[in-house]
Amino acid sequence: MADTHKTHHVKGLQHQFDDMQQQQESATIGMWMFLVQEIMFFGGLFTAYLVYRSRYPMAFAAGSNHLDAFWGGLNTLVLIVSSLTMALTVYYAQKSNRAMQVVMILLTMFFGLVFLGVKVIEYSDKYNHGLIPVTGWNKKTSKQVVALPFETKAEAKETHDSHKEKPYVNPNGDFQWNYGGEDLVMLAKEKGWLTEAEKIGYFDPITKEFDPKRFENKVRIFYWLYFAMTGLHALHMVVGIIIMTWLLWKAWQGSFSAEYYSPVEISGLYWHFVDIVWIFLFPLLYLLGRHFLH
Amino acid sequence: MEKVEVRAEQTKPNYLNNGYSVWSWLFTKDHKRIAIMYLISISVIFLIGGIYAAGIRLELLTPQSDLFETGTYNKVFTHHGIIMVFLFLIPAIPAVLGNFLIPIMIGARDLAFPRINLLSLYIYWLGSAIILWALLQGGVDTGWTFYTPYSTTFSNTYVVATGLGIFINGFSSILTGLNFIVTIHTMRAPGMTWFRLPLFVWAHYATSLVMILGTPVVAITILLVALERIARIGIFDPTIGGDPILFQHLFWFYSHPAVYIMILPSMGVISELISNFSRKRIFGYEFIAFSSIAIAVFGFLVWGHHMFVSGQSIYAGLVFSILTMIVAVPSAIKVFNWTATLYKGQVSYDTPMLYALGFIGLFLIGGLTGLFLGAMGMNVHLTDTYFVVAHFHYVMVGGTVLGYLGGLHYWWPKMTGKLYSEFWGKISAMLVFIGFNLTFFPQFILGYMGMPRRYAAYPPELQVLNIFSTAGASVLGVGLLLPVIYLVHSLVWGKKAPDNPWLLPGLEWRTSSPPPTENFEQTPVVTWEAYDFSDENGLDVEKVKKELATV
Repeated sequence: MADTHKTHHVKGLQHQFDDMQQQQESATIGMWMFLVQEIMFFGGLFTAYLVYRSRYPMAFAAGSNHLDAFWGGLNTLVLIVSSLTMALTVYYAQKSNRAMQVVMILLTMFFGLVFLGVKVIEYSDKYNHGLIPVTGWNKKTSKQVVALPFETKAEAKETHDSHKEKPYVNPNGDFQWNYGGEDLVMLAKEKGWLTEAEKIGYFDPITKEFDPKRFENKVRIFYWLYFAMTGLHALHMVVGIIIMTWLLWKAWQGSFSAEYYSPVEISGLYWHFVDIVWIFLFPLLYLLGRHFLH
Repeated sequence: MEKVEVRAEQTKPNYLNNGYSVWSWLFTKDHKRIAIMYLISISVIFLIGGIYAAGIRLELLTPQSDLFETGTYNKVFTHHGIIMVFLFLIPAIPAVLGNFLIPIMIGARDLAFPRINLLSLYIYWLGSAIILWALLQGGVDTGWTFYTPYSTTFSNTYVVATGLGIFINGFSSILTGLNFIVTIHTMRAPGMTWFRLPLFVWAHYATSLVMILGTPVVAITILLVALERIARIGIFDPTIGGDPILFQHLFWFYSHPAVYIMILPSMGVISELISNFSRKRIFGYEFIAFSSIAIAVFGFLVWGHHMFVSGQSIYAGLVFSILTMIVAVPSAIKVFNWTATLYKGQVSYDTPMLYALGFIGLFLIGGLTGLFLGAMGMNVHLTDTYFVVAHFHYVMVGGTVLGYLGGLHYWWPKMTGKLYSEFWGKISAMLVFIGFNLTFFPQFILGYMGMPRRYAAYPPELQVLNIFSTAGASVLGVGLLLPVIYLVHSLVWGKKAPDNPWLLPGLEWRTSSPPPTENFEQTPVVTWEAYDFSDENGLDVEKVKKELATV
């Protein structure tokens, strides 16, 4: 039997394959299939987003308005650059250039970590403002003003005043929405933009008045989707960085060359996929409906 | 020359005698050993699910709710559904027969990713363990469909733990599907073109597509239900703007195609059985192959027929109703082609063939009643009645389980190297067929008369038909227990199986029984078409006949 497996001793070739080409094709198709299932996995959440957005566009616009497009935009840039360094990693692996591979993997990991760092800043902002849609998971405080990690208390107070926002008081860590929305809804009502669901969803059934509590519930759905989608995405980033760590180790050992680079290639596919998900998340969550009023 | 003779007398090296320790099984990367471990796990699961089914039938023997309290009854049918659907029907044929046979049928040494294959088995064990733990802790009472807002807001049972188990199990099925697709694309032996693949492989290709495209959606849906229970956001809660119908859309987007995950592999088995036991090339090979793909594709477009009465728009309902009728076309193509294959074939009635013939009849009834349910007006009358229960049992048990048992008997000599008792095999096949019909045919009538599903009590005038049904379930139970006895018996006392007991041309019959770890001593080169019973199929008929004579 042994003579039928002459190829057994090729470096990196597993026993079930006849040659490296077959192995590489299998790995690539396998990763593409995995990405197809990832698309469907995120697809469920995107569907939920589309359903609720088309139902409550004003609440989603209000929620979206409070996300910081600067941090989101910065993260988009960071991820696009990391995609470049990832693509260069594959390039240098194909050129059997060990030193540049290691550099590029390190850069990719660095940008990945920057992305996650920015995400931490954004999440803590939501935590401080009572925007995490789970009771008890927000900052509990009976003080009037909460300063963000990057601003002084005076600056924070000024921000609140200039936006005519109510001060943050949240003894139980509830989700709360202090950033208005009535003007938005009233404008939309005037212009006849309200959807059927909104005509019922934002108003008190008896008095027919705008009901902030009901509006808040819909904004809460926006934040719930925001956290579910970006959280799942961030989880994929963490997995990506773990893969990169392994790849760094293998590249450092000089495992990859022009003959054998499929681990680099399929890790790259994964990394680009996670990027692309963000490319869709950013406009949907941060940009759409952002400037309804101004 | 003498030396060769002596070697043939001894047991050849095969995947079973290649190491006997526990570790050699638990850390194996051999697809055949993994399939055997799946077979054992799935049989245990099937027994547990069957016990719950017995509980349901016993309760329904009498009109009053007397054996169980109504709350307990809710849990019993929920457990029956969850165990059978998620832990038995979905993995049964792909993970056992598909795992064992696909690499052999295409002439490969193993699946493309043996370690991922083993991982999927561990994931299956982990998910099943979590589900069984949750059931032992007190169980779930939501029905296997987990409809919101009952499952998210009101049910006070182990929904999160069970959901977690199903979520985890889903990845077992995704990884199996991924492995199959890649294997079928890249691992085919020289000469094994796409249209020389056995239809069993085509069916698994279609199944794998559904597994990869559908399972992640139910995974995320169940995750949403779990988060909803933990965090109480209200995404499915209508009182604060959430939408319970969205859950149903997401759930059925997977769970309807999941029906095809169950039935397509079974159809693949039946295509093998019908052609091989008629000793005739299957009629319309390409049509059967592409009808599998068509079922997989159309199967994704019909989920709304589960929601005709649950608040979906009537226009959406119309479209779903029409699409449901369309999905019947590829299924019917298969049935017609199978019967056309039988015509003028040399039909032999071995045990596997009895299962295959039973399948055709039962699937026909299951499929046609599916059309009744797909018609919107009829559906309003029949929704949530025993008619639905009877319909899907005709497809799931009459289809999937019969295909599974037929395939298991057919490949048993190859898998174990032992022959089972043909007499007892035929007896049990007939008991299953009779018992099954006696159990479920009365349920069509009960459903039409208006008996709802999921209730522990019913009006006394419906008792006679329910007694028939419970009696049939006992016969079915005996029919399903018999194979356990004579198959296990054959492992020890069975005659040694020849390599090719039925003189068939498929690649799996050209290696030894049981196959060696590498499947073939030399990579086969395929020069014949699928189901080629002519003299040019490269089979050494004299040698096979000589070996058959020694048994």
